[in-house]
Amino acid sequence: MALPSHIAAAPASTGSRTPIYALVGNPNCGKSTLFNALTGLKQKVGNYPGVTVEKKVGTTYSQHGQPITVIDLPGTYSLAARSPDEAVTRDVLLGRRSDTAQPDRILCIVDATNLERNLYLVHQILDLGRPVILVMNMMDLAAQAGLNVRVARLEKELGIPVIACEAVNGKGLVELRVAMSRSDLPLARHAWDVPAPIAPAVSELAASLVEHDRKQPLIARAEALLLLTDQDSVRVAGSTPLSPRTTEILHHWQKRWAAEGTDWAGTLVNSRYEAIGQLASDVVLRAGTVGPTSSDKIDAVVTHPVWGWLVLGCVMTLLFVSIFTLAQAPMDWIGTHTALLADWVKSHMMAGDLRDLLTDGVIGGVGSVVTFLPQILILFFFIGLLESTGYMARAAFIMDRLMGRVGLNGKSFIPLLSSYACAIPGIMATRTIEDPKDRLVTILVAPLMSCSARLPVYLLMIAALLPNDRVSLGAKVGIMLLMYTLGTVGAFGFAWLFKRTLLKGAPPLMIMELPPYRLPGLKDVALQMLERAGIFLRRAGTVILGISIILWFLAAYPKAPAGATPTQQLAQSFAGRAGHALEPVIKPLGFDWQIGIGLISSFAAREVFVSTMGVVFNAESSEENTAPLRDALKAARWPDGRVLFTPLVCLSLMVFYVFAMQCMSTIAVVKRETNGWKWPVFQTLYMTGTAWVLSFIVYQTGHALGF
Amino acid sequence: MNPTREPFRPQRMRLTELPNGATGRVCELAGQAEVCQRLREMGVGESIIIERVSGQGTLLCHVSNTRIALSEGAAQHIVVELIRSAR
Repeated sequence: MALPSHIAAAPASTGSRTPIYALVGNPNCGKSTLFNALTGLKQKVGNYPGVTVEKKVGTTYSQHGQPITVIDLPGTYSLAARSPDEAVTRDVLLGRRSDTAQPDRILCIVDATNLERNLYLVHQILDLGRPVILVMNMMDLAAQAGLNVRVARLEKELGIPVIACEAVNGKGLVELRVAMSRSDLPLARHAWDVPAPIAPAVSELAASLVEHDRKQPLIARAEALLLLTDQDSVRVAGSTPLSPRTTEILHHWQKRWAAEGTDWAGTLVNSRYEAIGQLASDVVLRAGTVGPTSSDKIDAVVTHPVWGWLVLGCVMTLLFVSIFTLAQAPMDWIGTHTALLADWVKSHMMAGDLRDLLTDGVIGGVGSVVTFLPQILILFFFIGLLESTGYMARAAFIMDRLMGRVGLNGKSFIPLLSSYACAIPGIMATRTIEDPKDRLVTILVAPLMSCSARLPVYLLMIAALLPNDRVSLGAKVGIMLLMYTLGTVGAFGFAWLFKRTLLKGAPPLMIMELPPYRLPGLKDVALQMLERAGIFLRRAGTVILGISIILWFLAAYPKAPAGATPTQQLAQSFAGRAGHALEPVIKPLGFDWQIGIGLISSFAAREVFVSTMGVVFNAESSEENTAPLRDALKAARWPDGRVLFTPLVCLSLMVFYVFAMQCMSTIAVVKRETNGWKWPVFQTLYMTGTAWVLSFIVYQTGHALGF
Repeated sequence: MNPTREPFRPQRMRLTELPNGATGRVCELAGQAEVCQRLREMGVGESIIIERVSGQGTLLCHVSNTRIALSEGAAQHIVVELIRSAR
């Protein structure tokens, strides 16, 4: 059997520089799976400077063992970008980013079960005039769907290597690697003429791009086409702006077309689809009509108006039960071992400030945040699993209508849900939301969902509020649920408010593909989970470490006279003084300066409130066993002898923690995701302001009613 | 005398008005230009056959070999002519 041309002769790539391949494709076409299969653990995940889009670069090797760089670009349906992710894909391919070298070659991956739609992007990419290798993924699923995709025919028509592939099973990878190793990849035989009436505009703009923006002629033509037909194009930081002359020409033609009232953008898409339709009719043979697929059958239940909600409810319950039960043991382990580490340091170092800084500041501060790593890992594992099987898109579909009522779309559901575990992964998950205003609103309200760090505070307050022996478990669970509901209602309420005032925008529109159901790719899920964990740990090692040291300093200085107890030391430290200074502000909420210290220190992480109360009231207790601390809290008094922790104060404090932005890590993440301090500062002010007002209402109303 | 017969005209409606289970042919995309552009790019262009599978408000539709979820606002942009009623 004769080998296809691109495999038969594979001379080694020459040249001293490592060749750069860009990997592009539609969302859900198996791009990440192929990237992982090609590069394995040789990946580097970062960010494109100035824009919060993940930059994934990996190394693979040619058949001759030479390294090849692969950039995994965000999935997109078109080069006419609608979101920052898509804008990055467009800009890298067009060589507009100074931080990323323009790729030498392009690996275009398509889903064989839906060739026409996938070929649209390929059609635009072929315009770029770079060597392209087409990877036809999911050939097995296409065969199951009764489609006979004639790969050789497509290869002949396009004149570029086309590799049949099943990335999940690793099939076709050898052939792909051989094709990637070729030094003489052909350019596409891509005969496509732009519609005659717009040709003069394309030529003029392309000429200007060559002359004034120093673009290569082929890329210039593709870019001219894109500029002329791109509606409201998204620009992101790091993208080189157009020269004034090119901008002038572009505006001239856009104005002229607008005056003529012709929709060239639409005409161009239709004209590409016409060309693709002809190509696909030659390449894809359908073996009669096939009945409903297994995905259709599953969808009949999963997207059903009644069963769909039931399935979603079960999945969410399972997710939460797992987060709160499976994570417990590893969290305890981390807690115990950070304590052991601190003890070990204590026993091996001379007593002094440096030792205290290491044990209380560094190990204690970072440890208290790293404790949440197991929960975050489990959350990401589940999210990865749900994405990989295709269920996540269904959850967004089911929730879309409900979210629409507050002005958000279904894609905000997952970030908000994740925020119940921790707002950090929740905020990071907002990257899939295309509309920048919807994304910002989701980021602003996400920390209102009660995260797991609030749990210890709720537990302590409920314990102080309701003594074990007198109140049923039901009442405790009821109060806990009330706090979760309060946060959720607050999040939806503020989303509604922001979408109508500050971030007014068009009603959200969702156009989302529901991928076919698949068995989860555990390797991909695990890789994604580890990546996220790495990002979280890096943050713990930098920002959180810094703030922990500052908080330690505030609690350790100035020094109390020798022989002072930890309680006395804290009372006269900067933190204690700040607590005193804060007292007039928090007194109307029922809090004294000692609670004020807790509010300040729990800025590191909310659950630090519990340990701070332990130090303030000089009670040895742990998060699991709050009994000694509970008794200490009960014994606490105002200077005039009144009880400090009355049930009303406990309730007021819980309401405060529901709404207040008591988390430095979240602020750091919001700063990163919004590229500046404006939004995190606004968020802290509005959340803490709301917390103050609501606690004030609770305490003062309760007080007036005689509680 | 035979009255002149009206030529057959398929019923035109917005996708939001098409009943669940019915199939239509897209005859026009009307509304925000960016939304129309994205719909076209995702394969929901003029003359495409679209089946409304389920949903109220947010719709689940079948186009070619894919399922697409469209929120009400997006579905409003799509004008179809009925070619097969709900089974």
